[in-house]
Amino acid sequence: MGKKRLSRRQFLKLAGGSSLAVAAGGIGGALASPKWVWGATPAVKGPIKVGYQAILSGTLAGYGEFHKMGVQMAVEEINARGGIAGQKVDMEFRDSTTKPDEAIKNARYFVDSWGADFLGGIDSSGQALALAPIMSQLDRVLMVTHAATEKLTEDFVYKQGVRQIFRICMPTYNDGHAAAFLAKDFPAVKWSTVSPKYEYGFTCWKMFQDTLKKVKPGVEFVAESWAPFGTTDFRSHINTIMDAKPDGLYSTEWAGELISFVKQAKEAGLFEKVKYVMLPVGAAMDVLEGLGKDMPDNIWISARYRFQKRWNHYPAYVSETGYSTLYAFKAAVEKAGSKDTKAVIAALEGMEMSSPAGRRLFRKEDHQAIYDVPWGKTKTDPKYPFKVMGEMKIIPAKEYFNRPPFEGPGTSPPFK
Amino acid sequence: MQSLVHVCLAGLSNGMFIWLVASGLTLIFGVLGVLNFAHGSFYMLGAYCCFTVLSHLGAGYWAGLLLGPLAVCAAGYVVERFFLRHVYRIALPYQLLLTFAFVLIFDNLVKIVWGGGALSPPQLTFLGGSIPILGRKYPVYNLFIIAMGPAVALGLHLLLERTWYGKIIRAASSDREMSSAIGVRVPTLFTGVFVFGTWLGALGGGLAVPYVGLLTPGMGETIIIEAFIVAVIGGLGSLKGAFVGALVIGVMSAFGTRFFPTFDMFLIFILMAGVLLVRPQGLFGATR
Repeated sequence: MGKKRLSRRQFLKLAGGSSLAVAAGGIGGALASPKWVWGATPAVKGPIKVGYQAILSGTLAGYGEFHKMGVQMAVEEINARGGIAGQKVDMEFRDSTTKPDEAIKNARYFVDSWGADFLGGIDSSGQALALAPIMSQLDRVLMVTHAATEKLTEDFVYKQGVRQIFRICMPTYNDGHAAAFLAKDFPAVKWSTVSPKYEYGFTCWKMFQDTLKKVKPGVEFVAESWAPFGTTDFRSHINTIMDAKPDGLYSTEWAGELISFVKQAKEAGLFEKVKYVMLPVGAAMDVLEGLGKDMPDNIWISARYRFQKRWNHYPAYVSETGYSTLYAFKAAVEKAGSKDTKAVIAALEGMEMSSPAGRRLFRKEDHQAIYDVPWGKTKTDPKYPFKVMGEMKIIPAKEYFNRPPFEGPGTSPPFK
Repeated sequence: MQSLVHVCLAGLSNGMFIWLVASGLTLIFGVLGVLNFAHGSFYMLGAYCCFTVLSHLGAGYWAGLLLGPLAVCAAGYVVERFFLRHVYRIALPYQLLLTFAFVLIFDNLVKIVWGGGALSPPQLTFLGGSIPILGRKYPVYNLFIIAMGPAVALGLHLLLERTWYGKIIRAASSDREMSSAIGVRVPTLFTGVFVFGTWLGALGGGLAVPYVGLLTPGMGETIIIEAFIVAVIGGLGSLKGAFVGALVIGVMSAFGTRFFPTFDMFLIFILMAGVLLVRPQGLFGATR
């Protein structure tokens, strides 16, 4: 719809060099498809089946479409170049909704009925935590591409040993710890939050508080207001914040709710009264494009992902994680010489890969991908229809990611 | 003081906004006896049609607010004339199922036509800015919403109590057979009332475009729950009840969020449970 929303074809076209090959593969058909490669390596039996799920309905339906763009592009690229270990990739995409039982139902369908070799996707932390306990029973590698709760990798992978789960996206460490590292250099002392009233919101605010207290003793947390999922009217929450007269506001509102929140806060003059505003999820493309010029200047946002020259368009966060997931599977299967779950887990552990978001390393202990993402301050640039990041800062991931064994002193930042 | 006034204002605007959606729902239930789940979809379609007029035809928000809801009336007509009309005489659960089917159909229709992603409308020019009230900014548009609520209530009151059409509508709603016997074309009247109710829902959607500042494919589902709570508290089918119910819910949830943040959702459901226990027919509902 309109100029902003890209169709998949446009996305492919814009995505630069590599996708030209895909387009050619699509048009040229049989001519370009290297059939002889598939079947040349009999070690892995094909096709490689990937069951992917993300939100395709309701208020967050756009996220599923972003996932799909990235994943489908990767599948087409990989198949045009001979597949994974010579085998064709087959992908099925299902609507996860936001309900935990729907995620479980999809995963069971993928593995039991459709015969998936790999699972990917998952937007909600609640869904990730619901799915985690049955992953050892399903015994397929699940690559989480959006859900951020640190409990997934710390509790389930590390402490309980559910080795089937990996995460390619940023965990809450970036939204909580990294934000605190940045906030310590601001003159702001009194902090407040308006955040989502569920797992993700609570866990980020707690991390932010814990780390900020350690690195800057004397900070105060003067107000918190929790907005339930589906909030459209943030005015009472904004009143709570403005009554407390804080110096800083930290908010992990995201997607459409963040757009509504920023617009309504601007109307109420919040950004004139509160000088330091941090939105860890503020640099998501849907938010930047959605707000356009309504995004105030001088807000600290996190990109989670560097825009690279290679992309002529600005891909959404989840398009990139979905895209890179397929390449992670490819690398792991080819390294292991098998698509057997055990072998692939062994290959993925400690594996390094380059991706559009930079170099990623899958940490052996908790299966969390470690990579650096920048923070930046919003500014107006006449070249873009939305606000871009000026004054970028990168805090290296290894300085603020929690470390195994995730308990006791020295496992959470700051590290000496 | 500043804080109290602003919490009240937030509550009033939110309450009036819910009332605008609940009014159509209540009118349709009061006259046709149908609990229309699809009312939230008409709200959503109203918002999307308004958005299309304002952003693609370049006609500005106010033209969108006028034309968008009118376009949705066509959908209301089709739903009543070709579907709902056939289920009036069978059990209530079938009506609910049918209107719920339309919720799913319209949700997917919106995704096909406008895409699944959130749409963000541009800022208003007329009535766009904010004015200071006791030293804190307040959007002018929200004052407009607060004024729109009573205006729609008054208009509905005059229509139903003071006009010839109103008389017929009231007659048909209290006794279908008798009105039909004295020459009222009840089916046509019902279609008319349903389309009018649709328009009210779509108008609420159009008004949501600057108020919420965001359009998403599931936007009707959140508001329809609030509208139902309001209708139940006020008494199903009672417009006066819906108006008072919306005011109470709006102001109460604003105070809840500000002063009792742990219980904000809880407060509303406690109120609803309390009303249902003491007055099962709702505050202004007729005893049957």
